[in-house]
Amino acid sequence: MKTLSRENLNLWLDGLAAQHALIAPHLEAPGVFYRPVQRAQEIAWEAGRPVLSAKEFLFPPSERLLKVEKRGPDVRLEASPSAAPQVIFGLRPCDARGIRVLDTAFVDTPPIDSRYASRRENTLLVGLACRSMGASCFCTAVGLAPDDPRDMDVMFSDRGATLAVQALTPRGEALIANLPLVEELGEVEPASRREVGGLPTAEAWKESYSDARWAKHGERCLSCRLCAYVCPTCRCYDVRDEALPSPPGEAHFERLRAWDSCMREGYRLTAGGHNPRAASGSRLRNRLLCKFVYYPHQYGPAACTGCGRCLDACPVNLDLLEIGGALQEAAQ
Amino acid sequence: MSISEAMQSAARDVLASGQVQRVIGYETGPHGRVRPAIIDRPEEAERLVWSADCTHNLTVYLHRALTGENGRASREAVAPPARVAIVVKPCDSRAINVLLAEHQFSREQVFAIGMACEGMRQGAPASAPEATLQARCLRCRERVPVVHDVLLGEPPSALPEALPDEALAHVRDLPPAERAAFWLSQFDRCIRCYACRQACPMCNCPTCLFEQEDALWVGMRIAPSEKRTFHLGRALHLAGRCVGCNECERVCPMGIPIGLLNRHLAETVESLYGHRAGMQPVLSPVTGMLSAEESAP
Amino acid sequence: MSTADGADPMYPLLGRLVSSRDMGREIKLLGVKLLNGTQPRFPAYAPGQFAFLSAFGIGEAPFGLASTTERGEVLEFAVQRLGSVTTGLHELAEGDALGVRGPLGNTFPMEAFQHKNLLVLGGGIGGAPLRPVIHSVLDHRQDYGQLTILWAARHPSLLIFRDEYESWRAAPHTELHLTVDEADAAWDHHVGLMTDLVRQVAPSAANTVAITCGPPIMIYHVDKLLSELGFAPEQRYVTLEARMHCGLGKCGRCNMGELLVCRDGPVFSMAQVGNFLESYL
Repeated sequence: MKTLSRENLNLWLDGLAAQHALIAPHLEAPGVFYRPVQRAQEIAWEAGRPVLSAKEFLFPPSERLLKVEKRGPDVRLEASPSAAPQVIFGLRPCDARGIRVLDTAFVDTPPIDSRYASRRENTLLVGLACRSMGASCFCTAVGLAPDDPRDMDVMFSDRGATLAVQALTPRGEALIANLPLVEELGEVEPASRREVGGLPTAEAWKESYSDARWAKHGERCLSCRLCAYVCPTCRCYDVRDEALPSPPGEAHFERLRAWDSCMREGYRLTAGGHNPRAASGSRLRNRLLCKFVYYPHQYGPAACTGCGRCLDACPVNLDLLEIGGALQEAAQ
Repeated sequence: MSISEAMQSAARDVLASGQVQRVIGYETGPHGRVRPAIIDRPEEAERLVWSADCTHNLTVYLHRALTGENGRASREAVAPPARVAIVVKPCDSRAINVLLAEHQFSREQVFAIGMACEGMRQGAPASAPEATLQARCLRCRERVPVVHDVLLGEPPSALPEALPDEALAHVRDLPPAERAAFWLSQFDRCIRCYACRQACPMCNCPTCLFEQEDALWVGMRIAPSEKRTFHLGRALHLAGRCVGCNECERVCPMGIPIGLLNRHLAETVESLYGHRAGMQPVLSPVTGMLSAEESAP
Repeated sequence: MSTADGADPMYPLLGRLVSSRDMGREIKLLGVKLLNGTQPRFPAYAPGQFAFLSAFGIGEAPFGLASTTERGEVLEFAVQRLGSVTTGLHELAEGDALGVRGPLGNTFPMEAFQHKNLLVLGGGIGGAPLRPVIHSVLDHRQDYGQLTILWAARHPSLLIFRDEYESWRAAPHTELHLTVDEADAAWDHHVGLMTDLVRQVAPSAANTVAITCGPPIMIYHVDKLLSELGFAPEQRYVTLEARMHCGLGKCGRCNMGELLVCRDGPVFSMAQVGNFLESYL
């Protein structure tokens, strides 16, 4: 295997941060978050999975789609600039998978979302394997593993004084081409994994639509949307025009998109007052079926990477493994 | 009989006798995490538990439980229960008074199973057994809910000395410019998930001012200006109404000390008006009521 | 977003409002032409498709295209004032610029409908996306069988395209039946719900395709009734609306089960939809 000394890794990361945006796990008061860092020193190495996913670097919480300038009856439109290069380092396999899942909707399925595509083309994914699974992790239940390198450009595995490196894509190979890698005998020790079962098949999820327990589960739900905001793959958004400071005689606006979630009570409320998902149980059911039935139907993969953030974040312990397990039992 | 058993017995009785059609309490999930439980049948009462992990403020469920909005997954209307029983700690019970004063429901619609509370542990609802009590509980002066139809547990005869609120003292004593800088930097971490609002029993506007589609007050951007307006605005809306259950701070994924801001405003209202939220079912003096005549143009 | 030639499909084309006329209570028929020199040109579109109209400064919303490419260059939209975007569109003056994004969505399978009888059921503003179907049939009258139009609204002031009823009735093998929930003094047609009118007209399902559009609750009940009257799922078409923000299958909002109204619809046969319709109500 190829390895890199810790010292050389830090030098390299410092160099990357100087050239373009380097995003890495960073310790803040409430926990570790993926954040832009200026130096390798700022990276939190011993962290488990960061509190939020890395999706905000491809799909920001809010961003401009276009600018609108009105002068009397006339209008002028201006497109948004393309994205700057960035490297996401220390990415966990579940979060890399999250980005791949979003790719299938935004880039692989036409028409291409040019905002997302612009960022994606300019982003390199450099992963750090997990050595073990956290208490709420269930990546193995969705066919992933804590050290799965598949969705990365480059993957590092921390062995203490050195890190093992592998390039998975041509861009990844180019990225590490000039690193002083050392060829070492042996293999990277696989991460310790825990098999987690209990997720129903897509068919079983789909058939659960009329199960009376959805209403019961929904009773406890606060529609707080934390599950969607911490999730690596939730991607629903709202679009609206909002005012900008304008020169006299003109009215300037930007057309924004911002994160929204199907768990919000008013998500499907139409101007006429009709709301097909006014009941919280129907929203909960929609979100989980979207992850395991609707998203795969439209774009290919299931929209869940088993990161377990929703299990930690939910204030009232709504647990998709528990819900799925119960549905599976009922189906048998 | 343990307190859990007393609670189960009380819930079973009120359901079986038809006094209430629903009980909102706590249960333990499969992984040992305490969570809200909403039950309709006497047989389900055995699920209920009471422990130092019962940190949720269940009054957040009252309004929707009483209007039949809950327990649905389709547009089929469900007849709302006439009366609901709810397990409340002293802090939660004050929320009932605030909501009563604001006409969210009537006293007859609620059967309060009051718990004599010895405090909730840090890390609740999934705390380690050896964890210390939450700071808010160490500061708390109440052991008996101010609203209860039945009281379970033994209130202590004497209260231990209250822990001083050092965080509040620190913030209160900061010079205004520094205090502003502190709070603004806290709000900047916000991701506008609104979990704080959804967990709060007092945040019950049908459409939140800060999420209106016409963006009259606050736009959709997830950016510092909007986040600051939301947090400052929400804190003002809660002044004199917040009961310090700290759910807002517990659910925040970004560790924003929302509870601290609310405590500061609560202290301010108490020192200016002598009003402490929810001790009686009376409106906060800081809340204005517009009648139809007053709001006519 | 990019199309094959790199254009961003969230980027609207600039058009001008060439006509805005009242068509009913809080309902206007807007006519839009693309600005000279706007590229690309608005592509040819077919009955069933929709486009997003931008009231710049407020936002965009999807509206069924109520015109046909055949009948002219002007894009027509029936807009009922209900919320902020529709208010913004109503307040535009003729000559003002606005945005158009489209055509989006799928189309009615007009070729598959040929030589069949058509039963067209339009409720309220829902009649707007059905007008191109009616126009296509009238403009190619020989290609289709009997055309039976059932047109409903809550009140006579909410009936749309009233100035066309005579031309519809005058066409060969074409019938028009009207109903309102609540009549006014001048009303002398049927009073009652669309389902009442359907029972009265008692259409035969033989070699007939039904196309329904209207408020969700009307679609639901009409569809049930048509099923009882012997219309098989493949004979029952609906065109649906849902709150949308991209119209391109990205924002996730308009799903009805695993189907996206913007991408898999808005035209659906009930054979496709099955019991997803319940989740739409």
